[in-house]
Amino acid sequence: MKTVFINCSPKKRFCASAYFLFLQRLFVSGQKVSEKLRTPGDHARILEQLRDAQAVVFCLPLYVDGLPSHVLRFLEEMELFCRKNNLKLSVYCVANNGFIEGRQNEPLMQIFEHFCTRAGLSWGGGVGIGGGVMLNVTRILFIVDIALLVLNTVLSAVNTGSFFPRDAWISFGRNALLLLYFNLGVLFYLARMGGHIRKGTFSGKKYTRILIPSFVFILFADIFFVIISIFEGGIFRGWLSRKEYTGE
Amino acid sequence: MKVILHDLDQQYEKMFSGRYDRVIPADGKYAPCQGCFGCWTKHPAECFMKDRLQQVCRIIGQADELTIVTKNLYGEYSAAVKNVLDRSIGTSTPLSTYRGRQMHHTLRYGKHDLWKVIVYGEITEAEKETFRYLAERNALNDGFERSEVTFIGNLAGLENLL
Repeated sequence: MKTVFINCSPKKRFCASAYFLFLQRLFVSGQKVSEKLRTPGDHARILEQLRDAQAVVFCLPLYVDGLPSHVLRFLEEMELFCRKNNLKLSVYCVANNGFIEGRQNEPLMQIFEHFCTRAGLSWGGGVGIGGGVMLNVTRILFIVDIALLVLNTVLSAVNTGSFFPRDAWISFGRNALLLLYFNLGVLFYLARMGGHIRKGTFSGKKYTRILIPSFVFILFADIFFVIISIFEGGIFRGWLSRKEYTGE
Repeated sequence: MKVILHDLDQQYEKMFSGRYDRVIPADGKYAPCQGCFGCWTKHPAECFMKDRLQQVCRIIGQADELTIVTKNLYGEYSAAVKNVLDRSIGTSTPLSTYRGRQMHHTLRYGKHDLWKVIVYGEITEAEKETFRYLAERNALNDGFERSEVTFIGNLAGLENLL
């Protein structure tokens, strides 16, 4: 069985969709192919991969309550391709949004379902994830934790001759468990959908989120944007002001 | 201010120009959003891509009434129209708030009145339902008081709906 995973984020790197694609791949067996959809130049290559596939998993961000425009362009072409070649794929999606409520992905799920109907494909369902950007940050934090552990181990070996700095390992374990907890909902639903992808069955639409209270999430999201805006300079350029149109 | 965003031919420009303060043609001659958030964090309400949509959020943000004329695509806007909407998230700020008991971004230009969508082309009943829901969500997200969706099989009756 061949499954094609398509990362539909327009970002070149550090995108949440790549993280969820990585996780979803873990729960699917058989031949797995990952593709990146950013420009029309990617269309032909991806469509060729679909020719002998049994399932396709779209990993994408929610844009203005729906699909990003470059994905819509691809779906239009994919519809024609699938009908022309009489393909019978199962279509799944892993959608993420920056807000905390995974349920905000519902319109996107419905749009995928209508696409499947028109293209003659089987709609397999999807997972809608809230707090996608912050969950992606947990991946980066985990890598930082590993780097700190390695650094502490080296320092410990040099200074004391011990390759097992107990406090560093406890700190790493505690952080790793916390990050795992934040991701539990996502891991559960992706594992569940992975089972359906393997069998080619309908998974349904499931919604989950980063497992922290909403008001805490909003606080951290605001702090995140303040920091980024200070570094990028936007905060000094009329960050929240009503900007007048100066074109034409 | 009344603004119209449409994916129709140039022949309709005359029909729109007398009725609307601003006309945004969605002709696909611009790049899709790159998801960089620069219009929030680097150069507020302005895209880093220097094409026709660079400041489109400043027009949409100041609209009291936004009319969107779009071809149906799976219960969603046409790709050309969606491209414009994707590039206009600078109408809001990066800060968050609750609206409709859900998290949304605060509005750079305050509240608006009507998010009006006129959908043409062949469409199923299920896609109509999705479109109504989508417009409702868009209105909530962008701070519009209400949304209205009308479906027309062809463009003959469009003028009466403007």
